[in-house]
Amino acid sequence: MQTKLLRVRRVRDLGGDSFALEIDGPIPTTLPGQFFMLRTERHWPVLLPRPFSLFDRAADGSWGSFLIKVAGPGTKALVEQRTGEGVHVTGPLGRPFSDDVLEPVCIAGGIGLAPFLSLARRYRELGRPLPRLLFGGRNQAALAGIEDFAGIARVFASTDDGSHGFHGLVTQLLDSLLVSKVVQPGETVFCCGPDRMMHAVAKLCEQRGLRCFLSLETYMACGFGVCNGCTVEVQGPRFHGWPYSKACQDGPVYESCELSLH
Amino acid sequence: MLETKLGSLRLANPVLSASGTYGSGWEGRTFSDLSRVGGLVSKTVTLRPRHGNPPPRIWETASGMLNSIGLENKGVEWFLADTLPKMRTLGPKLIINIGGETLAEFVQLAELFCSAGIDALEVNLSCPNVQEGKLLFSTDPRMTERTVAAVKRVANVPVFAKLSPNVTDITPIARAAEQGGADGITAINTLIGMAVDWRKQKPVLSRGIGGLSGPAIKPVALRMVHEVAKCVRIPIIGVGGARTAEDVLEFLCAGASAVEIGTASFVDPAVFVGIVDDLERLLTEVGSSVGAMSRSMLRNLPQPPPMHGRQAELPR
Repeated sequence: MQTKLLRVRRVRDLGGDSFALEIDGPIPTTLPGQFFMLRTERHWPVLLPRPFSLFDRAADGSWGSFLIKVAGPGTKALVEQRTGEGVHVTGPLGRPFSDDVLEPVCIAGGIGLAPFLSLARRYRELGRPLPRLLFGGRNQAALAGIEDFAGIARVFASTDDGSHGFHGLVTQLLDSLLVSKVVQPGETVFCCGPDRMMHAVAKLCEQRGLRCFLSLETYMACGFGVCNGCTVEVQGPRFHGWPYSKACQDGPVYESCELSLH
Repeated sequence: MLETKLGSLRLANPVLSASGTYGSGWEGRTFSDLSRVGGLVSKTVTLRPRHGNPPPRIWETASGMLNSIGLENKGVEWFLADTLPKMRTLGPKLIINIGGETLAEFVQLAELFCSAGIDALEVNLSCPNVQEGKLLFSTDPRMTERTVAAVKRVANVPVFAKLSPNVTDITPIARAAEQGGADGITAINTLIGMAVDWRKQKPVLSRGIGGLSGPAIKPVALRMVHEVAKCVRIPIIGVGGARTAEDVLEFLCAGASAVEIGTASFVDPAVFVGIVDDLERLLTEVGSSVGAMSRSMLRNLPQPPPMHGRQAELPR
């Protein structure tokens, strides 16, 4: 593993404070759910790198992109970069979504869409059935990136205001797909999005008899296991009785039953 | 040109990892050739496993970060069986940082590590995140002296005392460490700080407070290294916000003989090797050496008076 200094290809404004940061490669092969630590070469005023799932990647790795929602100075510095400016890139890091699930139900909110593009592409390459993708947002504008899934996923969109797709929350969409038997009890959900949405999805999955894996976002200083800052509260045999787990190494993907969800 | 000495511990260069910011070194082994680092300082090892503090544990601040990890580690038994053998394969000198809740625990840890075979001990008298109602060792000169002396009695390697900056005056503590027989002083640990989330009207970190590290604290660390250098004769390991070769040279001039790199290794996991290379280049440019730079700001200052003359200043 090395940290590489790569160049910004372009920054695309997706609306709603979300951006796609495209970076010239080489971008290494990455499994769905793995992440990279990114920081600007300019550095000031931000010190630490920030973790992001890889979104898009050229088949030859000549470029890749990351979905970034501006939340503070670190994310702002990344999306304010211009073409040609340097980005320090470390990765891929972390434990991906289980590759053993042949027909996952992917549920995304906002920039939580990121890990599922490479997942959908990978499943097509492996000749697996098209994964189902449930993508929820406040309105149509919040569904940026969904067009990239045409032909590689069975897409079901939901908007809170009904401006596109199913009118309601993504959890209600999941329930309706259970009724119409597009999703069956016993199947496995892969989920990535805002904490509140992931918690709601995890709870619903528990009630409806679905397995559920969440890709978590935590504050992270290093990304390679030395800062002990990204810990999440966990339970279960994988952690041998230890109440905390480093999201950068054991995660960012956890099964919902491993997490202490409040 | 780059060699330095901490008591009887000879280092190929003065660049060390800091405790708690590079794990055991093993985690970072693929990023750079760690055999080129002067030494690796382990994350603090405690006698029993410690789960640490609940999240959130870290928060970036202007030119720095707050952490409240709470010495999460699996305890000495695990460390000796699993971690130390891995560290040994990396090449650099191994300085093991130990943290006890009592004097007896410090002694026990020192005994265990000295019989396992290491190059030096760093005694963590100063973690700001684990008080548990107890007085921090390094806010009390007497406890500092007693702890260092007790560790020294059982140690067969150099012992460095890591001190807290969260005191009105660090010099009595530094002298107490020297009096206790410390072979060196590591200065400084993190500064206690707080981040506030005004929307929630509460602190960001779960424990409320945390330790501030990173470039923001470098001027404080330089000042304290210099203060300590003026009052003790034992070598000093400078730590606090250093991230470049220039920073290392500044610490050397101010009074350090070696420098630990902490938060900067979160930013760049391969930071150490770059610093060693730059250090060599800069010293070649000016025709100097680590030995010549170290304590250079103190050469024109009067030497500290003999220690026994100072003891009256210690609160008893």
